[in-house]
Amino acid sequence: MIKISVNGEMKEIQEGLNVKEMIDVLKYKTKGFAVAVNTTFVAINTYENTIIKDGDMIDILAPVQGG
Amino acid sequence: MTRHMNKTDENFWEIGGKTLNSRLLIGSALYPSPANMEDAIKTSGAQIVTVALRRQAAGDKAGGDFWNIIKSLGIEVLPNTAGSHSAKEAITTAQMAREVFGTNWIKLEVIGDQYNLQPDPFETVKAAEVLIKDGFEVFPYTTDDLVVAKRLVDVGCKIIMPWGSMIGSGKGLMNPDNLKAIRKQFPELKLIIDAGIGKPSHATQAMELGYDGVLLNSAIALAHDPVKMADAFRYAVEAGRFGYESGTMQQREFASPSTPTIGTPFWHQYKD
Repeated sequence: MIKISVNGEMKEIQEGLNVKEMIDVLKYKTKGFAVAVNTTFVAINTYENTIIKDGDMIDILAPVQGG
Repeated sequence: MTRHMNKTDENFWEIGGKTLNSRLLIGSALYPSPANMEDAIKTSGAQIVTVALRRQAAGDKAGGDFWNIIKSLGIEVLPNTAGSHSAKEAITTAQMAREVFGTNWIKLEVIGDQYNLQPDPFETVKAAEVLIKDGFEVFPYTTDDLVVAKRLVDVGCKIIMPWGSMIGSGKGLMNPDNLKAIRKQFPELKLIIDAGIGKPSHATQAMELGYDGVLLNSAIALAHDPVKMADAFRYAVEAGRFGYESGTMQQREFASPSTPTIGTPFWHQYKD
């Protein structure tokens, strides 16, 4: 297991998961969000090639009201 | 030809590769309810609405009802990078927004001071340069500083959005002379006043200066009746634009009667 931060909360996940698998494990099931790992954008077509590492900081963002 | 208010089909303009007829850009935050937001946006006639990205809770339906309402309006979406304090954060947010919202438009907002939410001009220029090279149409939120505007143009910005005054302050245009200078120096640039608008008359004033549009949120959303205020701003922006296009009269340092003086009757003939 590795420890990661997801939207500011510490989580433990299995080692070796890619972004797509991490999203499934953490139950971010719906579409319409975007992901950054360690403040760098991860495009949806690269989820499966991006392996989550211990200590990674993940941001999963969705649409909200804005000015 | 007689022009009437609401006859906006005669008032097309282009921005970011789109042809629109409303020069009012509206925010989607701070409304009493999603239904009220929807009504206000529709009533305003705005064809560009600003949106944002924030952390999603696990299990949430991404974006929820809010995003469905915005999509149903069928108008242009302008995502912002609000909350960014560095070029790096703004660039990442912009890239995420492009994927989520499916647009290359980005309202670039890099805050340099947490007290007055003043944009950081150095980080804004840095981010703008990277984003333009990456194919974005950048709408940079900046101060009313002419030199910052020049630097943004230097890196390829076709649109500049100087503040009227601090975000959410409702104080109107703090430095109209600075805003005029930017308009004069960049006649071809699309200029939009962003932030600080509090009353419809502020929007009219901005448009009378020759600005191409006005972006506001709090002034409508925080009104006692946001829908009615949205209507007021629609008229205010149109009035200001028509006034600018009409060419305002020169101010004079002396009184000048508008009624003809030739043939003035009676009283001038009586002298004590």
